[in-house]
Amino acid sequence: MISRPIVAGPVAGLLLGDPEAGFWAGAVLEVLSLHQLPVGASRYWDTGPAAVAATAVFATAGGPVGLLIAVGFGVIVGWMGSWSVHSARHLNARLVAAEGPVAVTPMWLTVRHLAAMAVDLLRAAIITFLAVWALPRTTVGLAELPRLGDAVATVILLVSASLMLGVDVRTMARDRQAWAGFGVGAVLTTILALWLR
Amino acid sequence: MVALDPLLRLRLLIRSLAIQGSFNYRTMQGAGIGFALIPVLARLHRGHGASLAESLRRHTRFFNGHPYLSTVAIAAVARMECERQSAEEIERFKGAIVGPLGSIGDRLVWARWRPLCSLLALLLFLAGTPWWVACAAFLVLYNVVHFGLRVWGLHLGWREGHEVGRALMGSPLRRLPDRLTIPLAAVAGALLPLLAVGLGGTSGAGSFSVIGIALVLGVVGAWRPAVAGRLAVFLPLIASLVVVALGSIVW
Repeated sequence: MISRPIVAGPVAGLLLGDPEAGFWAGAVLEVLSLHQLPVGASRYWDTGPAAVAATAVFATAGGPVGLLIAVGFGVIVGWMGSWSVHSARHLNARLVAAEGPVAVTPMWLTVRHLAAMAVDLLRAAIITFLAVWALPRTTVGLAELPRLGDAVATVILLVSASLMLGVDVRTMARDRQAWAGFGVGAVLTTILALWLR
Repeated sequence: MVALDPLLRLRLLIRSLAIQGSFNYRTMQGAGIGFALIPVLARLHRGHGASLAESLRRHTRFFNGHPYLSTVAIAAVARMECERQSAEEIERFKGAIVGPLGSIGDRLVWARWRPLCSLLALLLFLAGTPWWVACAAFLVLYNVVHFGLRVWGLHLGWREGHEVGRALMGSPLRRLPDRLTIPLAAVAGALLPLLAVGLGGTSGAGSFSVIGIALVLGVVGAWRPAVAGRLAVFLPLIASLVVVALGSIVW
């Protein structure tokens, strides 16, 4: 679970000197990816490299525009990771599916199983390296841009996160009691947030 | 019969952590199950290389349960192997246990427990807790259940053997996802206003109207999940590409 955005983001942020930026980038990606359930052979974002890349971008660019770009790039890296996982699964089938007259000894199985894990480690490392090395370069100078776009970026992030939180709830909880729970939680926190404001 | 001594139990548990290590579209977790069973099978077939290879070949065939509850199947199969039950019976058992393990585990862990822990961690952070407390809370809370399930599964599988399916269907795990639904929805509801204030606050726009808009959008997302899901992903993606393109032109 260290690959979840709310863990991978702050850890990457800690290495870059800004863990809170990492948590923000991870938090938005977490909300956007929460409805993706890793069930069976389903395909889902590779959220670990996505959060690391998003943190690298946000730590470089900063501000709401920086967070928007970070989330957008996190989505791209998540998709790239998903594609690479899909390819690795095909490779794994060749590695470990015992077909033909093969003696499946403990050594045969152990070596191939561990090789598959090594391939996955290498895959994630390459995706993360490419993302962290290449993406922040595209945002050089954005921190210097006039802050005119901050309000628009905030609105886009707000719309995106709010919509997806609704989708997340619908995916996981559908009955009326759940909606009552959702409403009670929302009302209580709204009152609390406005009271503490 | 080979006893499942604490050391052997620990080895099964540790190996079960790597059950998805060679996940693939042909045998799914099959090789992972075989890999986890190596210590038991090697002890059972000591000095009989051919029968060990034959047994391992059988156990690397298709298997796809929930990874955390895989210990249920691993321990039950280990017990059946120790009791020298026939290969056909063991294969039939594995085919039958896949469904319950997948359905219970997916509903409980992927659809309830993981989102609940994630949203609670976000809620803690947005309520003003330091980032590392929120991170630690997520990891501890999530993994207590994660490792608890693995250890419990190992114990249950070994105790019940081929009858484990019946024990699993009668366990409280089946009803637990339904009981977690309301807390999950309540935490998601509580998070929405805080997320709105947190994001809006970055430009000084955190107010009642921002919370109201976020709540309306949350309801829209739940009402039309397919369209809203695509919009929620593509909106920041396209906007970020536009900003980067504009930025590169300006600079």
